[in-house]
Amino acid sequence: MIDLFSVLFLVAGALFFLAGTLGLIRFPDVYTRLHALTKADNVGLGLTIAGLALQAESFSVVGKLILIWGLVLLAGASVAFLIARGALQRGVLPWKR
Amino acid sequence: MNQKKSVNSLLIKVVIFALVWWVLTDGHLQSWLIGGVAIVLALWAAKYPPSDRPVHFLKLFLFLPFFLKQSLLGGVDVARRAFQPKLPIDPLLVECSLRLPPGAPQVFMTNMVSLLPGTLSARLENSVLTMHVLDQQGHYMNDFRVLEEKVAEIFSIPVASTEIGERL
Amino acid sequence: MQTFYIALALFLLANLAAGMWRVLRGPGVADRMLAAQLFGTTAVAILLLLAEASGSHALRDVALVFALLAAVTAVAFVKRAWPMQKEGGSD
Repeated sequence: MIDLFSVLFLVAGALFFLAGTLGLIRFPDVYTRLHALTKADNVGLGLTIAGLALQAESFSVVGKLILIWGLVLLAGASVAFLIARGALQRGVLPWKR
Repeated sequence: MNQKKSVNSLLIKVVIFALVWWVLTDGHLQSWLIGGVAIVLALWAAKYPPSDRPVHFLKLFLFLPFFLKQSLLGGVDVARRAFQPKLPIDPLLVECSLRLPPGAPQVFMTNMVSLLPGTLSARLENSVLTMHVLDQQGHYMNDFRVLEEKVAEIFSIPVASTEIGERL
Repeated sequence: MQTFYIALALFLLANLAAGMWRVLRGPGVADRMLAAQLFGTTAVAILLLLAEASGSHALRDVALVFALLAAVTAVAFVKRAWPMQKEGGSD
């Protein structure tokens, strides 16, 4: 039963990673690509971690997984901001429909 | 009264650092000798730079469910757009003046905006946050103000409440 | 489950490779900076899956250190490897 939920979470996580990659390839400019990468990949990692946490042998492992997720979130948000700001400063115009 | 508050916040910090240590060492009992020293060092390190805005830990904890829900929605939203053949996006740069004071509250807000549905922080200057919005038809402004009020609560900052209940 | 974890890790690796195509292709320098973001999340997920698949739980600590360093290295990368000059145009 737990295995089933684990598999569901992990597959869903992989789908979000796929969405992030698709967005990275298909979206028209660096800002929109950042949207895809930052948000979809973070949810992908979150679901992956949820799936793995169900298999964890102790609560301290669950804690470690959550800590890892938190660190990646923090890094992701800061890096996304830095790249977007850098692009804006260098005059990269956002794509418009 | 104030002293009681600072004792409380010290206790919370000790608990948090102890939790982190427990997690890092996979709960090995022998490690607590070093762990105790590490926690004291962490407490000392956490004092610099001194923060003028104390964090309301309970409010921060209550912020978690909101954050999880919003970031999940953000992921779903962008994934849906990336999968659709028509690529339904309509981006726009928007400037919003923050009602939060400079420093930790503004930085926290900037980071959160990037993880929420459809918005990405791109510049923070003179309390004006420039966001890149993925779809200008969305209700990003509403979300933004709701988030701002939550952040204000975490840092115990009074902000004038707007009528955000209404759909824009 | 082992095979499943490995398959997922390989799938994520393929994602990473596809993402690298975009990063290498650009067209702008800004797009190359996306590599920092791409590796930060995907690599951590791959490491964690491998930790579970192989049973070598030390890999989790590798993922932890990777996550910890990701912030620092990515900031350094974006700040240092990106010259301050106009790129112009929407690429």
